[in-house]
Amino acid sequence: MSPRDRILSAVRSGLGEPRKNPDSIAAEADALLAAPDEIRPRLVAPTLVEAFAIRATALGTTLDRIADFADLPAAVGRYLAAHGLAADVALQPASVLAGLDWQDVRPHASLAADEAVAVGLARWGIAEGGSLVIHSAPDTPILLAFLPLHHILVLSARNLLAHLEDYAAVAAETDAPRNAVLITGPSGTTDIEGSYVRGAHGPGFLHVILVEDDS
Amino acid sequence: MNVAAPQPGFKARTDSALANPTLKVAIDRTTGTAERKRAAAVAAFPEFGAARARGKQIKDHVIAHLDHYLETFERNAIASGSKVHWASSADEATAIVVRICTDAGARRVTRAKSMLGEEIGLPHALAAAGIERVETDLAEHIIQLAGETPSHIIWPAMHRTREQVAELFKAGHHPPPAAEDPASMVQSARRELRAKFLGADVGISGANFLVADTGSICTVTNEGNAELTTTPPPVHIVTAGIEKLVPSTAHAFALLRLLVRSATGGELTQYTTFHCGPKRPDDADGPDEMHIVLVDNGRSRMLSDEFREMLRCIRCGACMNHCVVYRQIGGHAYGGVYPGPMGAVLTPVLAGLEKSRDLPFACTMNGRCAEVCPVGIPLPTLLRAWRGRSWRATLEPRATRYGISLWASVARRPRLYRLASGLGVRMLRLLGRGGWIASLPLAGAWTKHRDFPSPSGRTFMELYQADRNRTAVPGESRP
Repeated sequence: MSPRDRILSAVRSGLGEPRKNPDSIAAEADALLAAPDEIRPRLVAPTLVEAFAIRATALGTTLDRIADFADLPAAVGRYLAAHGLAADVALQPASVLAGLDWQDVRPHASLAADEAVAVGLARWGIAEGGSLVIHSAPDTPILLAFLPLHHILVLSARNLLAHLEDYAAVAAETDAPRNAVLITGPSGTTDIEGSYVRGAHGPGFLHVILVEDDS
Repeated sequence: MNVAAPQPGFKARTDSALANPTLKVAIDRTTGTAERKRAAAVAAFPEFGAARARGKQIKDHVIAHLDHYLETFERNAIASGSKVHWASSADEATAIVVRICTDAGARRVTRAKSMLGEEIGLPHALAAAGIERVETDLAEHIIQLAGETPSHIIWPAMHRTREQVAELFKAGHHPPPAAEDPASMVQSARRELRAKFLGADVGISGANFLVADTGSICTVTNEGNAELTTTPPPVHIVTAGIEKLVPSTAHAFALLRLLVRSATGGELTQYTTFHCGPKRPDDADGPDEMHIVLVDNGRSRMLSDEFREMLRCIRCGACMNHCVVYRQIGGHAYGGVYPGPMGAVLTPVLAGLEKSRDLPFACTMNGRCAEVCPVGIPLPTLLRAWRGRSWRATLEPRATRYGISLWASVARRPRLYRLASGLGVRMLRLLGRGGWIASLPLAGAWTKHRDFPSPSGRTFMELYQADRNRTAVPGESRP
């Protein structure tokens, strides 16, 4: 017997009772997701934007709000200046970003092992915990979110979702990407005596630029 | 089995742990913070009780239909391009991982912390195959430098003070850290490990969840080391226990809310990542191969007895953070891969009760672990079940069996019991000085470290009778 058959047969004999059909198992599984408000935290503010902003900044993420995409280069420039950073940034190779007039900011396509700053797009934001979601894709390298010290994510307010379940629902509409990453605050560790230190391996700084009206 | 089975000598290990001058300090610093932060996170989430009940139901549902979910997961993982392997035992699992590494011509692997990897003895197996292993979780990096095993499932280096970590980094990092504060040391590890992430041939991770309806695996980290481990190398290998299944991503989220609050007191870890197959043809980065090794290693045996409840465990570590015994002796004294209350239940499954019978007895039955368990595992009940099995298997030392049999035969005869206990308390009172007994025959182990309270001179039943007589309603007839 193959290890696979050995394990499945040990599981079945351990469980004993006759096996249910897949449809009734699926119905049971769905029932376990009923009344989601009973098992999740309420949003901390009445609007998605406010709730997201409160949760995200509580975790050390910084936030800037702009009216539309055309204001993005200036907002990135402000962040670089505020942190005394050089004007060179690794830019996600997405057409919506490449098409902007970057003015004083100098974007590049490469990604160095010790990249200082990277700018990318978040597909969704989740107000419940202040999370941002990226999906791997031809124009979305995953390492862009992990190698730099400063990670700047651009989020359209219209892509804000209320709860984790809402993200699960929109994600289920398309084929799963290789990586779906929920980013909730800058990288950190408590591995030395439980004391919290930022920038363990991933970015020590996470900055969100919220585009409020890009309709 | 590669499990580090507790050697005879649990008492010797606890003695040396208790004598260690820095261990208690190190444990208190982390468990104290963890306990406070968990309490705050639960207080800020009034739905926690309902969420916990639901989490328990989700895990029970998956376990009741485990064969269905294993097959569904396998089908969807293969459809997304992963290769799925099955391993009945630890040895089978490590052999599969080593073979994948060898086939890939791998010389160096990076690894993101996985307790299952420890359980199956992966570090040892890789070393035996001549493959260099780089641990990327900061705590695992610390214990790799120290040549140790994890002492906690969430904070594997909990037993080390910052001063001890500084010594390890000064010797092991080139250049050494700029200063001894945690921030400088984290900075130094970031510098030290960066090139290793990008130069690895294979990345190995565990999985917090296996999502059946997508065939993806979920990892959670605060550092970002899992993605840096699994994205750059051409091969990603996952090792996961078969109990990690969930029906869908939404079910995983319901459990994540419990897991993170119970483990660190956060709401979500900084990075919650679903890994689904290898790099797509046009993707900007990612591995060419993804392998998932599903490991049984004793789990299917637990389905038919009371230990089935233990398969709900989501490895948060709350039980050990709140355990009075763990907080005195630390993780290494338990001798197995999993310490604390959950370890005392699991180690006898993995290593055999005869090699680990001391663990279920190293418990005060105060019930804190069950109180904080996010999926309602009745840990004290399961520990008591091991005690019962130990008795039935006659694993107790002869003197203990003798003593308990004697007590049981007296306790079943009320008159004899009252006579014996009446004599006993009066004898004990003779030994007392100022209300305390400093030295007690047959109980030297107790009185060596603390005095025994001297009894009042009467037994409970005598006091109870006297109280009844005094408070009886006047005029009421009594027999």
